[in-house]
Amino acid sequence: MDMFANLALGFSEAFALQNLLYCFLGVFLGTFIGVLPGIGPLATISMLLPLTFYVPPTAALIMLAGIYYGAQYGGSTAAILMNLPGTPAAAVVCLDGYPMAKQGRAGVALFMTTIASFVGSTIGIVVLTAFSPTLAGVALAFGPADYFSMMLLGLVAAAALAQGSPAKGIAMVLAGLALGMVGTDVQTGQQRFTFDIPQLADGISLVALAMGLFGVSEVITSIMRMREVSRQKQESITLRSMVPTKSDVRQSWRAMLRGSGVGSFFGTLPGAGTTIASFIAYAVEKRLARKPERFGQGAVEGVSAPESASNASAQTAFIPTLTLGIPGDAVMALMLGAMIIQGIQPGPRLVTEHPELFWGLIASFWIGNVMLVILNIPMIGLWVRMLRIPYGILYPAILLFICIGVFSVNNSAFDVLLVMIFGIVGYVMVLLKFEPAPLVLGFILGPLMEEHLRRAMLLSRGDAMVFLERPISASFLALTFALLAWSLFSAIRSMQQRPRTAAAR
Amino acid sequence: MRSARDYTDIIGGLLLIAGGTWFMLYSTGYNIGSLRRMGPGYFPMVIGGLVLLFGVLVLLPGLFRAGQLPRPEWRPFLTISASILLFALIVERFGLIPATVALTLVAAVADNQSRVLRTVILAAALSAVAVGVFTQGLGIPIPAIRWSY
Repeated sequence: MDMFANLALGFSEAFALQNLLYCFLGVFLGTFIGVLPGIGPLATISMLLPLTFYVPPTAALIMLAGIYYGAQYGGSTAAILMNLPGTPAAAVVCLDGYPMAKQGRAGVALFMTTIASFVGSTIGIVVLTAFSPTLAGVALAFGPADYFSMMLLGLVAAAALAQGSPAKGIAMVLAGLALGMVGTDVQTGQQRFTFDIPQLADGISLVALAMGLFGVSEVITSIMRMREVSRQKQESITLRSMVPTKSDVRQSWRAMLRGSGVGSFFGTLPGAGTTIASFIAYAVEKRLARKPERFGQGAVEGVSAPESASNASAQTAFIPTLTLGIPGDAVMALMLGAMIIQGIQPGPRLVTEHPELFWGLIASFWIGNVMLVILNIPMIGLWVRMLRIPYGILYPAILLFICIGVFSVNNSAFDVLLVMIFGIVGYVMVLLKFEPAPLVLGFILGPLMEEHLRRAMLLSRGDAMVFLERPISASFLALTFALLAWSLFSAIRSMQQRPRTAAAR
Repeated sequence: MRSARDYTDIIGGLLLIAGGTWFMLYSTGYNIGSLRRMGPGYFPMVIGGLVLLFGVLVLLPGLFRAGQLPRPEWRPFLTISASILLFALIVERFGLIPATVALTLVAAVADNQSRVLRTVILAAALSAVAVGVFTQGLGIPIPAIRWSY
């Protein structure tokens, strides 16, 4: 079997001492920043990006990836104990995890999230291992029109599935596309929307944009909220309190498998991401449950399903990044950037040209996830204790790390200034209830989409029918259209329901 | 605070309309080209138009439903923004330590429960971490302190 030979190669690469060390460093840091609210994998990865200049590419990518999926493990800890998500995807875990903690079952919730994370990741990795080479083979046949339609589907999916109204989601995607236009036009060299500022010639820094929109606005909104949280008393978690009851296990294992399935699927869509995967997994469980009213009151499935979904999608998110060269979110875009710094071009040829890197990375996911279970079950007390650090100490440190992280990517103080501007924009978006995630995705995919659109139109001599004539492109467009129709339908239905519920009140 | 109209979406829609219109008009200054050979202005112009369209779609329903007024928390908003601005202005001219101290002190004002002594200790500790980990450890080329500018 080809796959096993490949995996053997991967494991021999991943078990090299240096790679093991960086893998551990990555998952440890990932758990650490996942536990802490207000600082995510993006800030950490951008801070550690300079390190990739000194270590070999495989080790560097293993570490950066470890930060990403390690953060998914840690994110649920603060969600369960303090009703405060450490990562955006963990927001769903608050819904049932925090009620469980209030019933004195925090230990069980933490145990189940770790197991669910492991199950989700494992299934995600299996999907990644099985489908990546095939997809890379198919992707070799992709033309510019197919790439364009696929990215269009990703953007519409991100907008339609985000919380809030689909119109606002699509508006944010478009705003992101517009911001992505800033910089030098690749085909003509024309400077667009740069206002003669030399630092804008290469475009707006992705790290600055994402840190402003997510990091800074999160700190601003958290300061008030944390004051209420800090008054709560916290119990200590013992290993004994983590043992789940038989009915916990019985209720959870199917939920974990369903969650992993949902997560694996949404992770592969460019643009859907971990947050959407966990929200949908929660909705699925609630709909399938015999007693849906238990949800929100501490139902164990409400913790394990979204947790396994977010971890499965964190693994399968590597599929479009590695095999197509299309990043699904800001973290993946940064990983892509790290590869390009190392002179490795991600895309359909990555699997055949750099098999040791590709399979080594995948094998390291397995090793990293085993490390994470060890880090999260016996050592849970350490992470819980970290949550006692007062936010008054934490948030200046988070701001400083954001500033240094952004500065270090290009050694540019101008980028730090951009963080402030996007922090203001991000806070206004919070006030006006706009989601930042679709904007960032539009920003990342915008330049790629424009390039493929222009190339496709040039090849077809200006005939727009090319998007419908190519079967791959046409099926992506059909899916996009179905998604739009569905979100329009559900928007109308919720509008009809609203006056009725208002009258009932 | 409840209001007769959903001002959240009205403000949001108006901002999108203004931004989209400006973006569309600005991109007409670049070469538009044709569908077959698109110039640098083609794609931005379409995007600007779509932003404008969705601004209207966000605005219109907001006019006909009740909603909540957004309530900004001015104190953290202004101090946090100011602290990042100071870091950006100071770091290249005076070095990492002054920038870190300025950021910490100003950011501490955001939380009205901050204590002076704790903030000073925090500023010193963060400066040490910043220099130790980033300048020494990761080799980011910012000097700890620089006096000439």
